[in-house]
Amino acid sequence: MKNLTSRYNFWFFSSFTIALIVALPIITVFFSFFSETSNYFTLLRNTFLFDYINNSLLILISVLFITFVLGVSSAYFISFYEFPLCNFFSWALILAFAIPGYIFAFSIIAFFENYGTAYSVLTNFFGAYNYNPYIPKLDGVLGSIIAISFSLFPYVYVLTRSSFFFQSNNYIEVGQNLGLSERETLLKIILPSARPAIIAGLALVAMECLSDFGTVSIFSVSTLTTGIYNSWISFDDLNAANQISFILLIFILALLSLEIYSRKEAKYHQPGRGFKPINKIKLSGKKSLLAFSFCLFVFLISFVFPVSQMIYWTLKFPKYIQDIDLVKINLNTLYLVGLASLVLVFISLFINYGNRISKSKILNYLTNFSVSGYAIPGVILAVAFITLFSNLSDLINENTNIGSTKKIFIGSIFGLILAYFIRFFSLTFNGIKSSYEKINNSIDESAYLLGYSKIKTFSKIHIPYLKNNIILIIVLISLEIIKELPITMILRPFNFETFATQAYVYASQDLIEAAALPSLFLISWATILILFSSKYILSQKN
Amino acid sequence: MSDRFFEIKNGNFVASEKNKVNNVNLKIQNQGEIISLLGPSGVGKTTILRTIAGLQKLSSGEIFLKNKLISSDNIHIEPEKRNIALSFQDNSLFPNYKVIDNINFGKKRANGNASIIDANEIINLLHIEPILEKFPHQISAGEAQRVSLARSLMSKPDLLLLDEPFSNIDQSLKDEIQVSVKKLLKRINLTTIIVTHDSYEAFSMADKCGIILNQELKQYDVPYNVHHEPNSIEIANFLNKGVFIDVKVIDSECAVHRLNHEILGEIRGKLSNNFPSGAKVKLLLQPEDLIHDDQSKLKLEVVDRKFRGTNFIYTLKTKNGEHLPVFVHSHHIHQHEKSEKFGIKSPIYIDHLVCF
Repeated sequence: MKNLTSRYNFWFFSSFTIALIVALPIITVFFSFFSETSNYFTLLRNTFLFDYINNSLLILISVLFITFVLGVSSAYFISFYEFPLCNFFSWALILAFAIPGYIFAFSIIAFFENYGTAYSVLTNFFGAYNYNPYIPKLDGVLGSIIAISFSLFPYVYVLTRSSFFFQSNNYIEVGQNLGLSERETLLKIILPSARPAIIAGLALVAMECLSDFGTVSIFSVSTLTTGIYNSWISFDDLNAANQISFILLIFILALLSLEIYSRKEAKYHQPGRGFKPINKIKLSGKKSLLAFSFCLFVFLISFVFPVSQMIYWTLKFPKYIQDIDLVKINLNTLYLVGLASLVLVFISLFINYGNRISKSKILNYLTNFSVSGYAIPGVILAVAFITLFSNLSDLINENTNIGSTKKIFIGSIFGLILAYFIRFFSLTFNGIKSSYEKINNSIDESAYLLGYSKIKTFSKIHIPYLKNNIILIIVLISLEIIKELPITMILRPFNFETFATQAYVYASQDLIEAAALPSLFLISWATILILFSSKYILSQKN
Repeated sequence: MSDRFFEIKNGNFVASEKNKVNNVNLKIQNQGEIISLLGPSGVGKTTILRTIAGLQKLSSGEIFLKNKLISSDNIHIEPEKRNIALSFQDNSLFPNYKVIDNINFGKKRANGNASIIDANEIINLLHIEPILEKFPHQISAGEAQRVSLARSLMSKPDLLLLDEPFSNIDQSLKDEIQVSVKKLLKRINLTTIIVTHDSYEAFSMADKCGIILNQELKQYDVPYNVHHEPNSIEIANFLNKGVFIDVKVIDSECAVHRLNHEILGEIRGKLSNNFPSGAKVKLLLQPEDLIHDDQSKLKLEVVDRKFRGTNFIYTLKTKNGEHLPVFVHSHHIHQHEKSEKFGIKSPIYIDHLVCF
């Protein structure tokens, strides 16, 4: 007990190390920004940098608007009204989480391109004709906006829906009692009360949108993320890449602050005693049709459209089935998911336990800092990672006879897992923390008083309690890793493919139809994981 | 049997700047005694229990259990090695285990000891049987408190600490459970310290009662004495048993002491503290001290009447503005309304003349 109460103990140094590891990419980007400016960056600053920022902001604002409309409207219909299939839609709409933006982008390209799926459909229905000029071309910025919006709107939907769900019926009844109409109740009571949740959802959308690399890259739109990637891959200029990263990080950190602030605010809207669930209003006639059609439209576009497009392509081009080593990719995915989950869950449990028994404020600050990793876009993290370990390797090379240490971190499973750790530590740490906080301290103390040591309390009380939560966190990490593209693509070992990288590699080689099969597998795995965790996702208050 | 089963010597208990209790000296002579610590909320009672249990360190002083030093400035035996059970005020049941499993957790420590009580007896006694297969979140706060108590009892500790053990239990069940638990504790000879802010509970459960006020243990005595002979005005005020009136000591030398009050006249009884004749003092007047008598010439005006089920408490006003409480059995033949005159038997005789 004595050693735990002293300030700088084992737990402090463990948390400090974790915080330092997670901070490394940010520190690298920060120092790179103030290092010497390369010729390429000077050129970029005078030419495309403005375009990068412009495009990124244009996409961001449009995506925020669309996700707000889709997310809040569907959450409103589903939370407050009864209409055909409303229970089905309540969970079906989150299936869009299974479709990464870049797969949505493949689908849009496949559907709207010249002689694409839309063309085939029109030909089948109306006979042969040159329909190409009449089929809209949803490419470039417009395509990116649509793809990103439909893949990210579930963030707004899930958070808004649970905020609506946890709004006590008492408030609505009081509103009605004071003579407010349905519309006034929505505008004056329901929406203001859900505002923190909506903003938190939009902030998450904004962060993901600014971090997006796959979608904009497929549509060849120049944004800050593609700028970072191209500076490194095309111009071999890590310094320039990090300097663009710095600009992007400023946007991201501003959004992160907004998200944290909103989440704190949202706490005030959690149900207390006397909570009464909302009495849904049964819709009929036009109103019922409107709500049903809206939700059906969102579901069809966000999930059914990309899935059926990928199925259609897979069946249309069966030759690629033989070209792709599905067993190997499945095993690679399983290997990455298993290893990353093991490392993340183990360390998150370890640090959470340390925080719990040492009750140190400094330790809490340190761990709060280390959870900021989730805000760093994958592409920044990967490029910063390469910069850091290249420099480190050069430094070691110059001063010792050890030789290059680059291989340990770059192009290795170890490096990949380390990068995943930085990116997803917050997910596991916070997931376990939220569950851990539900175990009252007096429960630990009761166990001690019943003769249980700290380790036994951990194994007999904490672990059984956290078990379901840990399984859920593994599911959520698996979902993230299966969908993750830039980190895996940049840091993976040579010839080591996941479904995401395989699909992207084919698409970037203009073999977009070959991307269908790995995309379909990715969607299938992701859908299974979402269905497994849907109850939890839909019950999230924050 | 040792000469002191449990003792706190010059104990300073600190949870925070406001929440601390200084210089506590408290001894439990014999195994099986039940003591209660009574005081207002936030005074530091729970801090004392947590420190005795080893969950917090003792700031200074010493704590002995069965003649063994368990806490001091530089000795701190870990809670799991003390064989002291603490039943918390809030729900401390293991949330992922059923009630029966929670109770069985207590057996771990008990395994080494001879069985003096079985699980079924505790379950029956605390009325837990219908909820055995439920999880903690499915039971009420009062039920959780009973399960927590059962778990602590199952661990067969050397010392049982109960933190507001009956605070959430329904009034209808509370009295029965208090009686049963006390019987059981006595039968199994389990030394117990109960912390409560309810004076009735403290007095009915304990052999001895400690009053904690203003960061100090002010009085440690048998409940009868604490009630009838509080050793300070602040204890009397805390127990809220009566009012203080100004009186003059007429005779403190004879077997029956005599006081005089301007309106009530002569008051006889036995002074709990020594005062010389002629001294002006404050006398504690409790509701049961004055006796109603319709025939008496000593009459005061009724200003309030409270119905308390078995009795009425009348508040009477004297000419000099003092308000005096008087206890009257609720089956008394008639009731007095406000502003009516109310007779008091005189001369007044009070067993314990508590004066300061």
